[in-house]
Amino acid sequence: MRRNLLFCLASSAVMAALAGCGAAPARDEVTATAGPRFVVQTAPQNPLVAVRLVFEVGAIDDPAGKEGLAALTGALIGEAGSKARTYAELLDALYPMAAGINVQVDRELTTLSGTVHRDNLDAYVDLLLDQVLTPRFDPADFSRLRDRATDALTKTLRSEDDEALGKEALELALYGGHPYGHPVVGTAAGLAAVTLDDVRAFHARHFTQARLVVGLGGGVPADLEARLRERLAALPAAGEPRAPLPATPALAGQHLLLVDKPGRSTAISIGHPLPITRAHPDFIPLFLAASYLGEHRTFNGVLMQNMRGKRGLNYGDYAYVEAFVQDGWSTLPLPNILRRQQRFEIWVRPVPADKAGFALRQALYETSRLLRDGIPEAGFEETRDYLLAFSRLWTQDADRRVGYAVDAALAGTDLAAELQARLPSLTRDEVNRVIRQYLSTDDLVAVLAGPDAAATQAKLLSGEPTPLVYDTEGTPADILAEDKVIEAWPLKLAPERIRVVPAATIFDR
Amino acid sequence: MRYVGAMRTPITPAVPGLVPGLVPGLVLGLAVGLLGAGLAGAAEKAFPFDVQEKVLANGLRIYAVPCDSPGIVSYYTVVRTGSRQEIEPGRSGFAHFFEHMMFRGTPTWSEEAYNTALKRIGADSNAWTWRDQTVYHITTTAQALPLLVELEADRFQHLEYTEADFQKESRAVLGEYNKSAADPSLLLEETLVDTAFTTHTYKHTTIGFLKDVEAMPGLFAYSRTFFERWYRPENVVVIAAGDLDPAALFAEAEKRYGGWARGSATPPIPAEPPQTEERRKALTWPSPTLPQVVMGFKVPAFSTTERDPAALEVLAAVVFAERAPLYRKLVLEDQTVDALSADTAQYVDPFLFTITAKVKDAANLGAVEAAIHAELARVAAEGVDEETLAEVKQRARYGFAASLATAEGVASKAAWFVSLTGRIESINAWQDQIAAVTVADLKRVAGQYFVPAAGRTVITIVPEVK
Repeated sequence: MRRNLLFCLASSAVMAALAGCGAAPARDEVTATAGPRFVVQTAPQNPLVAVRLVFEVGAIDDPAGKEGLAALTGALIGEAGSKARTYAELLDALYPMAAGINVQVDRELTTLSGTVHRDNLDAYVDLLLDQVLTPRFDPADFSRLRDRATDALTKTLRSEDDEALGKEALELALYGGHPYGHPVVGTAAGLAAVTLDDVRAFHARHFTQARLVVGLGGGVPADLEARLRERLAALPAAGEPRAPLPATPALAGQHLLLVDKPGRSTAISIGHPLPITRAHPDFIPLFLAASYLGEHRTFNGVLMQNMRGKRGLNYGDYAYVEAFVQDGWSTLPLPNILRRQQRFEIWVRPVPADKAGFALRQALYETSRLLRDGIPEAGFEETRDYLLAFSRLWTQDADRRVGYAVDAALAGTDLAAELQARLPSLTRDEVNRVIRQYLSTDDLVAVLAGPDAAATQAKLLSGEPTPLVYDTEGTPADILAEDKVIEAWPLKLAPERIRVVPAATIFDR
Repeated sequence: MRYVGAMRTPITPAVPGLVPGLVPGLVLGLAVGLLGAGLAGAAEKAFPFDVQEKVLANGLRIYAVPCDSPGIVSYYTVVRTGSRQEIEPGRSGFAHFFEHMMFRGTPTWSEEAYNTALKRIGADSNAWTWRDQTVYHITTTAQALPLLVELEADRFQHLEYTEADFQKESRAVLGEYNKSAADPSLLLEETLVDTAFTTHTYKHTTIGFLKDVEAMPGLFAYSRTFFERWYRPENVVVIAAGDLDPAALFAEAEKRYGGWARGSATPPIPAEPPQTEERRKALTWPSPTLPQVVMGFKVPAFSTTERDPAALEVLAAVVFAERAPLYRKLVLEDQTVDALSADTAQYVDPFLFTITAKVKDAANLGAVEAAIHAELARVAAEGVDEETLAEVKQRARYGFAASLATAEGVASKAAWFVSLTGRIESINAWQDQIAAVTVADLKRVAGQYFVPAAGRTVITIVPEVK
């Protein structure tokens, strides 16, 4: 790569400085002295600098009856005015830099981030810190952002995005009564109840030095950390103590949540809690098992191959062993979605409504086969090779790289590094052991978001087969024979474990 | 530039336009798609890489773009065919469907063997289709580059699948349609292009009309015609970026693609007659949704030699960026609008400059539409100040540079421009046009293209229930 590096260096002053050739970091440090923790990755030749302010605050901190407060506070920090300038003035200032302030609020973390050319770094950092340290809390901003959140919940989520609705309903079904159990954006009643004073108080209590991890990546100047430390000292040292999470609600038996909404198709999400996270030694073999079953957005997984590839049921079928939010158009996970409690999850993208029963059964059938037979030797080796190589692609740009490094600091383990360290010596037996130990098709929740919930409920509860009727020809005999098994795959449902909720009222409170 | 459908995933972004917020998930939340030729007269090019080019005897063009991406390469195959080439009735959506079929194997590399090969090298692989192009892309470790050439050369020449596989894959496409069908945006886009165009194939969306998608299983024979017609070396460009040796790449490509026979068919794309009036449709939606007004204005084809396309790109930023007066008034001050955006037209043939406003109350649809027209008329009459124009160009310059931060970014940017023009040089030519846009240009295009007589189509949608 010397030649290419020389090329970059040889470009003229203006464009050499601009042309960001992604380069590996030369320094990767985590410091935890007094004040905020810092994760710094320096790649001096990179003209771009990524800044991530990750606060350990999220929807789990929403007070009862004020669901949505954390998300609204995040928005009022990053997408509204500061004491120094109105939001319109902020947009004006950011515009020529081609930079923005990204606000990401999740269950446990709130991240304010951006990437900027180092030409504009000083001005950008000042803007970002003004937002975090001295939000304006303007009533007009509050009104705008609360309206937006309410519309996102009551119109977009309930009505226009079946896949997101299914996933969010799974959270509700898994975690009802637990701090994870309501949408990050809030509930209708919670958003209606939140006041600007609530936001002010929430900011003062939660956006503290003690809860902050600062990630810096790319062409980080030597003095940037010190400058940030100096200004961030204006945040309260500590505020509301971070409460321990209650235990994940126990789950026994197969549960079904039907979200009734009109439409052409049915979105399916299935899951159950996991007792471990990426910090546990068993997580790496479990991660491999999930990749084999349903690696996100690839044809690697058996769910995808057998449900979409062989049967044309839908557009995609995937499996996960931790909360996964896709980063934009990439296939990679968003950084800073870290959670202290995790779940096993299967995502079946929308299927024609008359095929929902079969699709549900096939997802359980494929998982049951994995439990019964374990991972085959070839599948094990291919998946191990895949993860060893693919995980090297996770950190191509400075922003994502430092985001994952912050996750590593918070989790106490670096997932990509652990994969590189553990996979070469991992055995198939270890993977099969964790599959049997942690995965279940007996104790889980299945969410079906689609039309005709009452009829679906009756059909599934009856125990009758739900045959797949093809409108295509040439299905091989072995697939048709297997279909006979899948269509009657035993469900272990009971009326008391089935709920039907109209989409029009889900997440009301 | 908003992308729509795609094969394995809801696609990568194509080239985002100038207006912030149009492309979800863009890392910086910034806009690219144009770039000035540097500040203060700096002569350096926006796409600053040492591009190497080779054209095989059969017409296949290959670009090698070395850049500092240690151990990683991105390999893009650009087929200059998209839904624009769906010329026969009932074939809407077929280019995208065919993209799916390209993963169904060859006599040498079966579907399973192909997938396993990509899996073992940890490849991030996918494809996307849009109006003028179908783009296949793989990012993986640099040492796998010879294997990528072998795999891609093989499937582009020797694709083979059964009718049963074809039919099954057609239902994955239906699934792709279904996953988007709950969002009124799909209906709005379908209606907009169906109303604005009478003859040209831009009349249908890339995902296709539902009735055509549902009928896809019966088109097996046509799929072979489609492959023979369009998947030919003279219609394809390969781009590799990252940690690579161009000479080695070209040698491997000569070996693997050299036997690919040229095609001969070039069926004509029907020309669209001029639109000289306003066309308007009012839709309803059965579920709760924000009312919307979508407006499409006929504008010229993409060009790096004409000024108007670049001027329209800059105009979009001047009028519809979040920092622009119109957004400030409608979204921040009046708060009658939830979201305001514009899509410029970078297409091979004349298409639409599209403006979308999501309003909070249907009673305000007319006033919002009028405010948009008034702002465009104001720019036509008064222009904009030079400082605003300079800042738009500066943002574009920084934004474009930031988009080149990875091998994937470099290759995808190149793929977009190559898909439109066939030549990678058009990237810098486009940036030069952008840099040359003047206030007078903005006044001219604002006055010329945004009047009813220039062809205006307006679609509204309101919920049947609140």
